[in-house]
Amino acid sequence: MHPIAIVLDKEFRDARRDKRSVMSAFLFPVFAPVMVYFMLTAIIELRVNAQKITIPVQGGEHAPGLIQWLEEKDVSIVDFTGDARAVVKAKDRDVIIIIPENYQQRLAELRSIEIEVVSDGSRTDSQPTVGRVHELLREYNREMASLRLIARGVSPEVMQVIVGRVTDVASKQQRTAAALNFIPLYIILSAFVAGMGIAVDSTAGERERKTLEPLLINPIERYHIVMGKWIASSLFSALGMVMTLVLCVAAMLQVPLDQIGLQFNVTAWQIVLMIVATLPLAFLATSMQMLLGIFAKSFKDAQSYIGFLTLLPVIPSLYMMFNPMATREWMFAIPMLGQHLLLVDVLGGKDVPLIGYVYSAVSCLVLGMGLVLLTARFFQKESIISN
Amino acid sequence: MIEVRSLCKSFGEINAVRNVTFTAENGKVTGLLGPNGAGKSTTLRILYGLLTQDSGDALIDGVEIKSDRLLAQRKIGVLPDSHGLYIRLTAREHIHYFGRLHGIDRNLLETRTNELIRLLNMESIADRRVEGFSQGERMKVCLARSLIHDPPNVLLDEPTNGLDVMTTRTVREIILELKQRDITVLFSSHLMHEVSRLCDHIIIVSEGSIVASGSTDKIRAAAQEDNLEDAFVKLVEGVTS
Repeated sequence: MHPIAIVLDKEFRDARRDKRSVMSAFLFPVFAPVMVYFMLTAIIELRVNAQKITIPVQGGEHAPGLIQWLEEKDVSIVDFTGDARAVVKAKDRDVIIIIPENYQQRLAELRSIEIEVVSDGSRTDSQPTVGRVHELLREYNREMASLRLIARGVSPEVMQVIVGRVTDVASKQQRTAAALNFIPLYIILSAFVAGMGIAVDSTAGERERKTLEPLLINPIERYHIVMGKWIASSLFSALGMVMTLVLCVAAMLQVPLDQIGLQFNVTAWQIVLMIVATLPLAFLATSMQMLLGIFAKSFKDAQSYIGFLTLLPVIPSLYMMFNPMATREWMFAIPMLGQHLLLVDVLGGKDVPLIGYVYSAVSCLVLGMGLVLLTARFFQKESIISN
Repeated sequence: MIEVRSLCKSFGEINAVRNVTFTAENGKVTGLLGPNGAGKSTTLRILYGLLTQDSGDALIDGVEIKSDRLLAQRKIGVLPDSHGLYIRLTAREHIHYFGRLHGIDRNLLETRTNELIRLLNMESIADRRVEGFSQGERMKVCLARSLIHDPPNVLLDEPTNGLDVMTTRTVREIILELKQRDITVLFSSHLMHEVSRLCDHIIIVSEGSIVASGSTDKIRAAAQEDNLEDAFVKLVEGVTS
């Protein structure tokens, strides 16, 4: 067996038996998709429920036409009598509609009817309901006005000077991908989380437990030792990443996205593409962690530095969220940003040019390899065995 | 055979090893005796390829370690200063790991491992994870993994430090057994009785330099003391004062 394979085999076996580190490595890949599922399902439920509202109405008997129309729009109407302002102020009701007694009279006279909508502007939780009420009233108003015009032989179009028409160039799939842009972020994060335990344990841990000196006495090249450790850590990282990816996709397929007008489809081929796109990142993430592990005095020490390192992949994703810009080819060559873009595009069903995969893979692997060689140089130093 | 000629090594301002010259012959046990901080570990670390000397030669069976570290390391078995073990691996897995790193093929590795396990009386612990092993049990694992490739030269850094009587006895037996098989044994210690009992050749170091060397009798004669411990103290203090 090649020395790299011997070290790899040992590190993998050792790490697999470290229950605590395995737990913490794979807690994220399992927990994140579950969290995503429950969070999204809850959001969708809220949105759907916002459509089905109950409105207390005072004086509903004056406007049977409006009440009937509202009921056709899935609104349940309850009769209300009493001091509407006081009740809303006391937060007993979100919103109350007051229909004036002279509704029919003004309707017949073709004059505007004032309908009072009592709400509390300081409350954020009732905003969707209040907004929905206003929206419904506007819609009823438009319909009634059109009918009045038609009755007088005038086209309702005279009321509509301009009409905005929405042309969305994004496909439904792409809009979904944009709404779900935390999925690429989770996948990228998992690369850093899953490999961390073994990357740090096999560097800082090896020094701390005084196993490094005996190991280095063996007649093998130092960079072979480092390579073995690197590949072992990267396999862990890759495993965590694939788990996160597959479980996130599985969770998304369960979420009733169609209820909010989104659509999430994924083919096996897309999953393969996403794995191909992100695997090189596993090698980069662990190379960074190993380099820090070698600098650190102990496992604890290393973990505190690596906490900051884990924030690193969030930066490109957040940047893209706040400063969306058109994808250029060179962007694929920026580690983490490249993976983020690839994942968003693949999820959105867009065809990514091959060069995108090549750029992102090459940049990650070259940078990772460079960091590993740097780590190996530290292994060559005499000071590695002393503190 | 281990040859050291005019070896010098300093760390910044501190001269850890100053102009040390000695030879450890095949089939003989050579002891490096000295107080803590005398430069014993530094000398051994140069010999097993973890440190590089500033000047002088360090050769294992004629191979200069500085120029061909890997070849020299193949010819030595080392019990270093740190006795760290991987807590989640079994004793046998430790021995196998080092054996594989030495390039021993599978069948031979199995035979050698079983031999060493028998030799060190560790049958009952061989397939247990080393977490929770006693000091003595840990030492046995360290010894076994350092001898797995049947090295012609053995270097031991304070091999009996902190061990109970039973394990110390086992270590002594191993050293004598190695000697009988014509292997070069070089070990360091600060325990006089240990050295006087086992060594054919004693090298006393203090503050990085050799203050005396030779057989027990020769050292006693040089210091004009009957007791080796008195001789040792006298020689070492001669340097410090």
